[in-house]
Amino acid sequence: MKSFGKTPLAWKNLTHDWRRLVVAICGIAFAVLLMFTQVGFQNALFDSQVKLIDDLEGDIFLISKAKFTLASEKRFPISRLNQARSCSGVQGAYPLYTELTTSVLRRMENGMGNRGFPLRSIGFYLDDPVFDLDAVNQHLLRLRSQGTALIDGKSKRSKFPFPYDDDDALAQEHVELADKQISLVGKFELGTDFAHDGNLVMSAENFAKFFPHRVRTGNPLDVVDIGIIDVLPDADVEEVRARIEQTIDKDVQVLTREKFRKDEIGFWDKSTPIGTIFMAGKIIGFIVGMVICYQVIYSDIADHMAEFATLKAMGYTARYFIFLILTEAILLAVVGFIPGSAVSAVMYSWLSEQTGLLMVMSAPSMLLVFILTIAMCVASGMLAVRKLLSADPASLF
Amino acid sequence: MTSQTTIPATSGAFTGGIQMPKTVKVQALNHFFGEGELRKQALYENNLEVRRGEIVIMTGPSGSGKTTLLTLIGTLRTVQEGSLKVLGNELCGADRDLIVRIRKEMGFIFQAHNLFESLTAYQNVNMAAELVGLDPMIAEGRINSLLTRLGLGHRIHYKPKSLSGGQKQRVAIARGLVHKPKLILADEPTAALDEKSGREVVTLFQELARDEGCTIIMVTHDNRILDVADRIVNMVDGKIKSDVAVQETSVICEFLKEFPLFADLTPNTLAEVADQMMVHEAQSGEAIIRQGDAGDLFYLIRTGSVDVLINDGTGDQKVAELNQGQYFGEAALITDEPRNATIVAREPSVFYALGKDEFRAVLETSATFEEELRQALFRRQ
Repeated sequence: MKSFGKTPLAWKNLTHDWRRLVVAICGIAFAVLLMFTQVGFQNALFDSQVKLIDDLEGDIFLISKAKFTLASEKRFPISRLNQARSCSGVQGAYPLYTELTTSVLRRMENGMGNRGFPLRSIGFYLDDPVFDLDAVNQHLLRLRSQGTALIDGKSKRSKFPFPYDDDDALAQEHVELADKQISLVGKFELGTDFAHDGNLVMSAENFAKFFPHRVRTGNPLDVVDIGIIDVLPDADVEEVRARIEQTIDKDVQVLTREKFRKDEIGFWDKSTPIGTIFMAGKIIGFIVGMVICYQVIYSDIADHMAEFATLKAMGYTARYFIFLILTEAILLAVVGFIPGSAVSAVMYSWLSEQTGLLMVMSAPSMLLVFILTIAMCVASGMLAVRKLLSADPASLF
Repeated sequence: MTSQTTIPATSGAFTGGIQMPKTVKVQALNHFFGEGELRKQALYENNLEVRRGEIVIMTGPSGSGKTTLLTLIGTLRTVQEGSLKVLGNELCGADRDLIVRIRKEMGFIFQAHNLFESLTAYQNVNMAAELVGLDPMIAEGRINSLLTRLGLGHRIHYKPKSLSGGQKQRVAIARGLVHKPKLILADEPTAALDEKSGREVVTLFQELARDEGCTIIMVTHDNRILDVADRIVNMVDGKIKSDVAVQETSVICEFLKEFPLFADLTPNTLAEVADQMMVHEAQSGEAIIRQGDAGDLFYLIRTGSVDVLINDGTGDQKVAELNQGQYFGEAALITDEPRNATIVAREPSVFYALGKDEFRAVLETSATFEEELRQALFRRQ
């Protein structure tokens, strides 16, 4: 074997003892898996929180100034939509109605009512281009009938045990929403989140009938939960948004899709313990990985103190040793990340099946975990390198 | 007057009459271990000069400070007090860059082989070659020939695991030599080796010293290899007790044996006499002793030549010419009379001189020759 490159000491030391290498890879892969789990759950949960936003058409959204999350039932007068409609660049403005606390769905069996559970009812005018969901748009005709709704096929089974896969059986179910009979004429898929265990969509007219008490007096459809605004194809969304904000009364927020999404995730991340919990999870994964990586590198150094001291006596400098350990750390990170992310991918698909949560190995989350892994190994390497730098060549004689 | 020096004749400073540049110069070197109350002195006022191409063997009981001195010379410890020059650089107060530069010019051979188990013999040796930026092609040739020379030609690409203890030690030796260091520091390099490979290693040392001008300092208790030493330094209790240039001493002894009064002396006594002689230098035309002066020294001509002049009242008459290996000045010491002749250097010359008291002491020792012989015979049993 002829090799004219520099002797790859980092690689040789790492791969020399394959048992130790396997243990090291397993340890780091485990840390990678831990971090992926945290990142995956966090993303999945945050994505679930904004799934409704993602499934809506529209470029700009109006919500009450008091509404801090989708689940908060703060509304604004429908006249704001008319104000928005008058702004140039606006193609259309459509109301979306949601109800949660009074929207209790109860399954009736043998004429007896089971315990009911709240879910999110969503009402919209069937002619408005509101939903970007094929399942909803295909069933518009069925929704025109009185007392009909589509149920979210991903609703929590324990609370809403319906035969989702069979439209006919579903229609046969005897169900009450807010103590009024409702027929489930089909299903769509939206998914659950922290606040919502299930979803129904229905026409605005049906919605008004199920929830007449949204307002003390007058038309229940006069208060809107989310206003959806379409912008003309050639208009600049941000300009239009600013214009609406200028025109409209100040009791509503005018948000672009990105901002709407960001604020919603921001609420769950910052104002609830969820963000902290996942951060803690990630930190634990990081520390576990650091401890494992430190052990591997430290024991490699400790086992070769005399050899490293000899190199020092020969004239190798601290820079060489730091570079050597850095290389070892990065190699460890890379060889641990590959199996770690492979196992994580398998786990993601299994968890997706089990929980209905959207677990995706997206490029940004892979990058995040990879950077964390590198940082973890480099940090522990730099901690361990102090031991190496203390190697005293005078002790060799 | 001649320039009297305090350099001992046996220091080897004038080996062959040529002064080789100094590779190592130790002056008034003290070293301490510990701090405060526990501070303990390990080296006391040591002086040592080692010249280019010399092979120095350091001996002494354990704890005598020879290893401390070796690590100080090797830049592995910081010089605390005194002066230590290695390869022309003062180590006292040297910065890290300088120390790293000096280290690259040295070769270390430790008692333990300290090879990386993960690297082959070749790669282990190459770690040293790479560091000094040796051209890979040249390095390859040199590593292969060194390992072959050390009897590892068939094991070049083996890892230490498949090598015997002696083979590993030889790989470590190759690693210490591959970059052609100017100074080799070795600690018991042959301890792990059998007679044959030990001999091969010291022969290699001798070649490096002779052909490359490499200086070698080794600590060893292996008396099988004492014969390669140009100089033997003996340390006791943190002090250099004796520092003898072996070859020069034997040259002096050969010369002294020619002196009839010393002819009966044993090699041991001759070596002791040589130890007591000091170096004197004289320029061409300089008078070393003058007729009529009181005599206090006995001279041996190491290099050069002198004229012997006697003044019979009418002026100096040249009566003889003396050359290398010859001696003068003994008469005045024996008879306690003034000098009976003037000696003038014909060319720049070097002499080894023995003081009057020492000279007389030797003559008395000579009388006890018989006793010494008995002793020698007794020890032989």
